[in-house]
Amino acid sequence: MTLFEREGSEVEALLTDRYLERVLARATGGPSSGPVDALLNPVLRDAADQLRRDLVRVHPSFRFEERLASRLAEAAAALRMPTAVGAEGGVVPIGVLGGASLEGDDGDDGAYMFDDGELDRRELNRPLLIGGALTSAAISLAGAAWVAWRTRPARRGSAMVRAARAVREARLAAVHAGRLD
Amino acid sequence: MARPVFGRVRAAGEAGSARVTHLDRDRALVEEARRDPASFDALYRRYLAQVYSYAYYELGDHHEAEDATERTFLAALANLDRFEERARPADGDGASTFRVWLFRIARNVVANQRRGRRRHPQAPIEAAALVADPLDIEGGAAVRDEAAAAWQAVGRLPADRRRAVVLRFVEEMSTAEIAGVLGRSEGAVRVLIHRALRTVARDLGRDGRPR
Repeated sequence: MTLFEREGSEVEALLTDRYLERVLARATGGPSSGPVDALLNPVLRDAADQLRRDLVRVHPSFRFEERLASRLAEAAAALRMPTAVGAEGGVVPIGVLGGASLEGDDGDDGAYMFDDGELDRRELNRPLLIGGALTSAAISLAGAAWVAWRTRPARRGSAMVRAARAVREARLAAVHAGRLD
Repeated sequence: MARPVFGRVRAAGEAGSARVTHLDRDRALVEEARRDPASFDALYRRYLAQVYSYAYYELGDHHEAEDATERTFLAALANLDRFEERARPADGDGASTFRVWLFRIARNVVANQRRGRRRHPQAPIEAAALVADPLDIEGGAAVRDEAAAAWQAVGRLPADRRRAVVLRFVEEMSTAEIAGVLGRSEGAVRVLIHRALRTVARDLGRDGRPR
């Protein structure tokens, strides 16, 4: 193909494109004829008109449409993320001792004073997220144990014993609140 | 995540003032579907017939077209987060890059399905009956024959030309959209369609030459 032929072909392709734009726009109230129509090869024009008329859009069956809609709804439900990790759980107040503040009675600033004997008198007024994801509850309890261990240097026993005791106390507090068994 | 793209479109006869418009007509639906996947249903209903038609013209079989349609929409839903809006001001108000993205998925799905069976699509003659007037039996038969001939002529085209023709005439896509679906330049798409029309005209005997 010579350069001249190639350019002629590209010009005709452009004219065809313009013609098709107009043919397709007819359905939406576009003009019925345009300035380039006369320039376009009538053979191509007729072929374009026939394809426009005969290549219809095919709709699937209603049954298929609804079946696939259901399938997509199921897939969408599976894709939907949980609200948030732990958000499906409740907030359980785990309080420090009733009457006691965050200040310990032995003078340790900021110590949680959980005493087995006084547990029933304690008000659980400190919120802590428990429930929902297991990991979040476990982390919360471990965190409470760590805080208790760090802030109660006067208690007897090794660090591990104190940590275990603190976990137990936190758990008892939760049981007391009736949210954990 | 979609790029926030806005274009200024100057309406005809509007001197000096411009309105801001969304470039992708599906943006709201896409964003809603991203927030809540159940909302994907609206996009599905909007494009079901188009995707199905494309698959049907490519595969020539209702069952296979259904299968391809199902795979296309399931893949689109699962990968919606990967969709990136790329509408340009030049694409105009009606452009949908989501539709282009969806049809790229459909093109791949259909290509895989065709590869699996290695069979050319049959001209779906029964579909040609849809365009005939049921009350005009004689005329209807002529219309059916003509439609069937057109379908067959398109079915015989090389794959890239056939796809371009189907996207242009059945899906009524712009040249820019077809270029996006086929991964070609707009100039290349224009040439594909032009050549396809020449071939179809010859096939249908419209060029005066004997078939």
